[in-house]
Amino acid sequence: MPEHPTRPFRLGVAGPVGTGKSTVLATLCRELSAELSMAVVTNDIYTDEDARLLRAAEVLPVERIKAVETGACPHTAIRDDITANLLAVEDLESTFAPLELVVVESGGDNLTATFSPGLVDAQIFCLDVAGGGDVARKGGPGIERADLLLINKTDLAPYVEVDVDRMVSDAVAVRDGFPVLALSRNDPASIVRLSDWVRQVVAGYRAGRHVAHDPGPMAPHTHAHP
Amino acid sequence: MPAELGALLLADGRLPTGGHAHSGGLEPALAAGAGPDDVPRYLEARLRTVGLVEATAAVLTLRRCRTAGADVDEVQVALRARMPSAPARTASELLGRGLARLARRLWPEHPAVAALDSLGAPPLRPVALGVVGAAVGMSDAQVARASLYDDAQTVAAAALKLLPVDPTDATRWLLDAGPTLEEIVARALTCTGPDTMPATTAPLVEQYSLDHASRSRRIFVA
Repeated sequence: MPEHPTRPFRLGVAGPVGTGKSTVLATLCRELSAELSMAVVTNDIYTDEDARLLRAAEVLPVERIKAVETGACPHTAIRDDITANLLAVEDLESTFAPLELVVVESGGDNLTATFSPGLVDAQIFCLDVAGGGDVARKGGPGIERADLLLINKTDLAPYVEVDVDRMVSDAVAVRDGFPVLALSRNDPASIVRLSDWVRQVVAGYRAGRHVAHDPGPMAPHTHAHP
Repeated sequence: MPAELGALLLADGRLPTGGHAHSGGLEPALAAGAGPDDVPRYLEARLRTVGLVEATAAVLTLRRCRTAGADVDEVQVALRARMPSAPARTASELLGRGLARLARRLWPEHPAVAALDSLGAPPLRPVALGVVGAAVGMSDAQVARASLYDDAQTVAAAALKLLPVDPTDATRWLLDAGPTLEEIVARALTCTGPDTMPATTAPLVEQYSLDHASRSRRIFVA
């Protein structure tokens, strides 16, 4: 059983480029920053692109948004060598103590990139319908084992000829019980479901009930036959 | 831990201390007009200037860490005085904090590692390197070489991301810099204290670091 935590909850948001991670972060800040003291770290290929987008959205005081340089390797900075991210998170935690929620956005360069368990307590993996209806079925560590899978931009589905229900059921089939959420920024009910999920994991973490797990690398796996 | 293994760890880019996000000033040097053919001379210039100063600081730190209660702060202050660019100091602090973070997890009981907390400011990279060198029992020459090799390899590895360079050619740059590197190791070992630390600077590198800090689209920290 995990002990009661002494530091803020750290949530990662990963997923391929262009799936709406920054918009998800802006949504979380908009929905939750009135009730939770928040800060954000962005990882980008070109330093502060995402941080600037978030600052321009005016959803959080600019000094609570920090961009980390990744040497063109955002996947390394969230998994193999998390030093720069940890230093940024710790700086925010000490400057704005007591924080309650720190969200770390990955750089989106890689479908297989997931966060190290040394950096975040839970992670969201973000796909979108425009990336193709079959992406969820193809699987991968984030798609199969992130704490929450988002199927984003569902409002675009008719234009890209993707069946959202099918994409969600494909995802559910590969996720072995982990939750899947269809999201659109134009669908207020879906935003409530996302915010409630974050509230629930933060509450679980505070109560010492949250068990962090690692979606893991793209490792080969076998099914035992009886 | 065997000193040889410690030296290998510190020379390995896979050591999780945040080094992969640094270019040793190469990114802004290229933005200022340098090209692939200039990189070997850039490496050499760094080794002979900031490289010498940093290797000397690492050696002085290491020597002081061998005696209990030694004053590492004096080395840190002398080194800061030789780093006129604020962004360069900040970049060095990030690398130093990365090393210190690792050291606190791996060798929390070591007196030199514990003494990092009394510095009053984040350790600069060479100071943290000297402390880690003490924790793993490295020699003066091993620590000086690790400091210089890390600087040169940081530039060479970043070049692969920034320039159309064959990785084998980048490896050759390092080998070609070998004689200079060994010469600087020997010079770093001759320094006896912070008051006689070399103060060779590289004004263009410093100017580039200031330019870099004011840009919004950066791949590397510095």
